[in-house]
This record gives sequence, C-alpha cells and structure tokens, in this order.
Amino acid sequence: MRYALLVLGGPYSHQAAHSALRFAHAAIARGHRVDTVFFYHDGVYNASHFAAPPQDEPHLVDAWCDLQRTHGTTLQVCVAAALRRGLLDAREAERHGKSGVSLEPPFELTGLGQLLDIGQTHERLITFAP
Amino acid sequence: MLLHLLNRAPSSSSVHQDVLRAMGEEDGLMLIEDGVFGAVSAQVQHFPGLDGRLFALREDLESRGLAGRCDARVIIVDMDGFVALTEEAQRTVSWF
Repeated sequence: MRYALLVLGGPYSHQAAHSALRFAHAAIARGHRVDTVFFYHDGVYNASHFAAPPQDEPHLVDAWCDLQRTHGTTLQVCVAAALRRGLLDAREAERHGKSGVSLEPPFELTGLGQLLDIGQTHERLITFAP
Repeated sequence: MLLHLLNRAPSSSSVHQDVLRAMGEEDGLMLIEDGVFGAVSAQVQHFPGLDGRLFALREDLESRGLAGRCDARVIIVDMDGFVALTEEAQRTVSWF
C-alpha cells in the first residue's frame, strides 16, 4: 500500500516524530511504500537544518533524510507553518531578506493544499500528533 | 472499520471519552505513547465494551515499565502489528 504520514509534533519535545519514524520503518519492512511525510504545526521543526542534538541521541532530522535517501520518501513541509517558525529555504530567505538557510533539501516547502492531495492519492494517511 | 489512535493517558486527559463516543461497533482502538497508561488493569475500566478491539503498543508499554502490568483484556501488538491494523482499517483517526 501507499502510506503517508502526517507529523504534527516537534522533535525532542513530544514522541510524535519518533513514533512516526518507527512506524515508517515498520511499514516499509512489511512491504509497503511510505511515499510522503507531511510536517505541519510544530512538526515543521523536524526539518530544521541547524538541529544539532548530542551525538549519543537519535538525530531525528538526519533520520528523516535517511528515509528519503533510502526509500525515496518525499518530505513535505507546510510553508505557512514553517515561515512562522523561522524555517526558510534559500528562496524564502531571499524573499524575506534573511541571512542563512534553515531548511534544505530533501525537505521541501509546500502548501497545505498538498496535504489534501496526499489524502486522496495515498491509500493510508496516519497522523502522529503531540 | 476505523482504527482510532489515542496517545493520551485517561488520567491526564478526557479525550478518551470523545473517542468512545465516536467509535463504531466494529472500530478498533490502539493505545500508543502515553495512551498505553490506559492499558494497565487499574485504568482499563475507562475502555468498557472493547474486548478484542483494544490494542496497546508493546514498545511504548516497555519504555514506561508497564509491560508486565497490562490488563489481560488488552491485546499487545508490536510496531509490525500496528502497521497490520492500519492495513485492515479503512482509515485511521488520531486523537490527542
């Protein structure tokens, strides 16, 4: 089946991101495709390029990138939720006159309408909330 | 059939009451994260009438030291079993 995950919880403050990652790997191990993860609300912090957790702790941002690299999962971030929280890709940083880029590929900024599309194009959509 | 996901303990939130009101007769309830506190014998009375439809995630029970204290009426599943439940359900509804 085609799965999508909606992550609403920020990393290291709630279990949502950790649960979603664990679920993604379990779904893939069962032969499913986890085609898309959509980050919304505080979940957008999962895409923070500047995240630098202690080396003996799970690096959730890197873990999402690994999922994309290994399994082709698209990592979509709600642009409105991201801009409010200081997560800007190069284009948005320039547009808003900010120095520094806090959101890098493979994460991609996208509109909330994309979430509606995900609900229609994937067979399962599982929400992990704070 | 829907699968409801609950990540709140019944002692810290009343959202489980909303879940029970919303559940259909065939629906399943999966306790995850802090929701697994509802699976222990002292708390499971908050989920009446769900025999065979009440599940708890093993790794969340274990991480909270509750693995041996889960009520017999609760079906313990691992992450693989959680995925299997989402396969069987038409949709999954998260409560938080």
